Amino acid sequence: MLGMNNSLLKIDLSKEEINIEELSDDLLENYLGGRGLGVKLLCDNLEKGVDPLSPANILIFSIGPLTGTIAPTSGRSALVTKSPLTNTILHSNSGGFWGVGLKRCGFDALYITGRLNQRGYIVIDGSSAEIKEAEELWGLSTEETLEKVRNIEGNCQILSIGPAGENLVRIAAIMNQAQRAFGRGGVGAVMGSKGLKAIVVKNGNKKFQQNLEQMKMLNQVASDKIKVFPVTSQGLPLFGTAVLIKVINAFGMLPVNNNQMAYIADTRVDEISGESLRERFLEKVEGCYGCPIRCGRLTNTGEMRGKGPEFESLWALGPQCGIFDLKTITHANYFCNRYGLDTISVGGTIACAMELQQRGLLEDSTIRFGNSDILCDIIRKIAYKEGIGEYLAEGALRFAERYQGIEYAMQVKGLELPAYDPRGAMGQALNFATSNRGACHLTGYLVGMELLGVPKLIDRFSLAKSDLLVLKQNQSAVEDSLVVCKFVGFALGLDYQVRFLKSITGQDYTIDKLVEIGERIYTLERLFNIREGFSRKDDTLPERFLKESLEEGPSKGYVVPLEKLLEDYYRIRRWDENGVPTDEVLQKLNLERLN
Amino acid sequence: MVINEATFKEFRIVGKVLTDQGYNTSHSGNISMRSGGKLLIKRRGAMLGFLEPEDIIETDLYQQDSGIMLSSTETEVHRQIYLQTDAMAVIHAHNPFCVILSLVEDEITCIDAEGCYLYKRIPVIEVENPAGPTDAAREVPKILKNYPIVVVRTHGVFAKGNSLIDALQNVTGAEQSAMIRYYTLLLGKPLKRDLSKEKKFSEW
Repeated sequence: MLGMNNSLLKIDLSKEEINIEELSDDLLENYLGGRGLGVKLLCDNLEKGVDPLSPANILIFSIGPLTGTIAPTSGRSALVTKSPLTNTILHSNSGGFWGVGLKRCGFDALYITGRLNQRGYIVIDGSSAEIKEAEELWGLSTEETLEKVRNIEGNCQILSIGPAGENLVRIAAIMNQAQRAFGRGGVGAVMGSKGLKAIVVKNGNKKFQQNLEQMKMLNQVASDKIKVFPVTSQGLPLFGTAVLIKVINAFGMLPVNNNQMAYIADTRVDEISGESLRERFLEKVEGCYGCPIRCGRLTNTGEMRGKGPEFESLWALGPQCGIFDLKTITHANYFCNRYGLDTISVGGTIACAMELQQRGLLEDSTIRFGNSDILCDIIRKIAYKEGIGEYLAEGALRFAERYQGIEYAMQVKGLELPAYDPRGAMGQALNFATSNRGACHLTGYLVGMELLGVPKLIDRFSLAKSDLLVLKQNQSAVEDSLVVCKFVGFALGLDYQVRFLKSITGQDYTIDKLVEIGERIYTLERLFNIREGFSRKDDTLPERFLKESLEEGPSKGYVVPLEKLLEDYYRIRRWDENGVPTDEVLQKLNLERLN
Repeated sequence: MVINEATFKEFRIVGKVLTDQGYNTSHSGNISMRSGGKLLIKRRGAMLGFLEPEDIIETDLYQQDSGIMLSSTETEVHRQIYLQTDAMAVIHAHNPFCVILSLVEDEITCIDAEGCYLYKRIPVIEVENPAGPTDAAREVPKILKNYPIVVVRTHGVFAKGNSLIDALQNVTGAEQSAMIRYYTLLLGKPLKRDLSKEKKFSEW
């Protein structure tokens, strides 16, 4: 397919075999690339019941037809694997420049299985690849790894794990240039379980065909729209994603103390706002490949320097733990980056522990809401599985089970919730419950419409959201497969993306066809989860959101009537009452059940 | 909510008039007022004709803040008008007759008595990107220093006032004058009395 390389780099680490296989046009046309391609490859090749931390698990990195083109925000790449945190299928994506590097080396996907006998790292150098020994890198932070590998390999793009991934922490991330992350679901532990410290891409110079004249015209129109829209031209560039702290709080949806509250009525919210971060610590604004928005922040507290924190990290390590000291939160975020940890899950798990302590189920009195003194030390303990860190490293659900307080784990399918209290936006609540990778806000980001008014504002408490959510989840699967950033979706709809895609591939794509591809990807993920034992019982939310209404703020008095929402959702997806896709929908999407 | 009941009532009335009388589509247009160093402005995506208290966003008058994530797309135009003029309230609407005349004329000269009394001449400006806030934020305040209302060619009007109701009068009054001028031109007959020439409104 034009715009893609039709090429899969396949590495069996156990056998240290490297092969290149052809990817068919048919496969790419039906799954596009990125998340879709990764999901298809995983479902076709991973056997039922495989332990995610065993050599048999497969780690797939992939790019899409828009990757590395002049389409805005086209620097992203995707990752698909089986999650050691949730045991579901797991898709993730990350910005930066690594994906463009992989594509320029001539590959659409990197497929890794097995386990190295000796710890190593992969170098993709132009059109060839090799596995190199990495004993010297093992134990290093992601920043140290970046520096050391650069000294060896020269100018390159690097994915790596930190100590958390090496120690098989179930909430470990894979870091991208030590700054960005494939964050969620414990993907760092999967890489660590394979004895793989880093993946390097360099020296790619492959050109891929695109209709440059038409692309330039589309890019101009798209750029104009991004410039006009205040979220993409002012809010995110000026304040980074942390701009959302005050916005989400204004709707009474910013969780505090493990979702026991969701509204900060006093000036503590100003202390941790995007405005405050900009004023106190901003050193430099950064952007990914091809991004006109540039939401990245390089910050400096005077004591430490690093990337972020992003909105979700700031919230998870801050208000969710009852902490409002911006410097401590920023340092905690730096440590997560260095150790290679998912900030949302780290914050969510510590907050769970704090509530268990509050309820008398955990005896450690230092782990209490608002105690910022312990935050950075706990993060280190998680990364190295020291003391209580050994149990926290398992994520909130397993930790809460250990201490007989499962209702205090704010998670869905084992994945800790992000920074939006579900009681304030019913569509987003349903999205958390039904997302294939657990409590993910990005799978069908209805916050855009329910709070931010993009593309149009809808009543956030209305229950008539299932149709819209299904559409958004399918569209989201398309964006993740092209691969583009969610933020560009604030300004550009699929009408823009379909034109870019047509221009690059020469194929006659339509919005309807793209949405059907998104549905195919989403449904295939669902089939994977069903094979692994997931069902309707897992499409739920923590009891708190179903039974306890908030006592303060603009979302006061609401709970989530999930059963009603879920019934509509299954009906619209044409899944049966247990959440299993019907034969009719499988036939339409040309899918088969997985064995 | 940041807004008191009386202020919200003014927002709701003005929003409803603008929509009901066809100055805006279901979702276009935006209205704002100064409020003690802050700016109260319609939320992006909210329908002007059906405003709720949650649809009025407070943002800083003097600098960008996180309010930009929710406030109207044209917030920066409003902010610059407040910073550079005596405006206490601002309305942006898509007055059809003002837009029509802006496509063929460089100013709208009033020929009706009410328009002659209130406006005389309604300036028309052209900006490179009329749909975005950046160019308008630069050019519109310059005109509103000396006029109550200005038409941005192909786009719509920005009007100021001492209150939202006052700004509304400028929006509706200008549209009335534009409509009368348009229909009169359509008749193709010479004017029996051209007040604009008598008073040299082109020099106003």
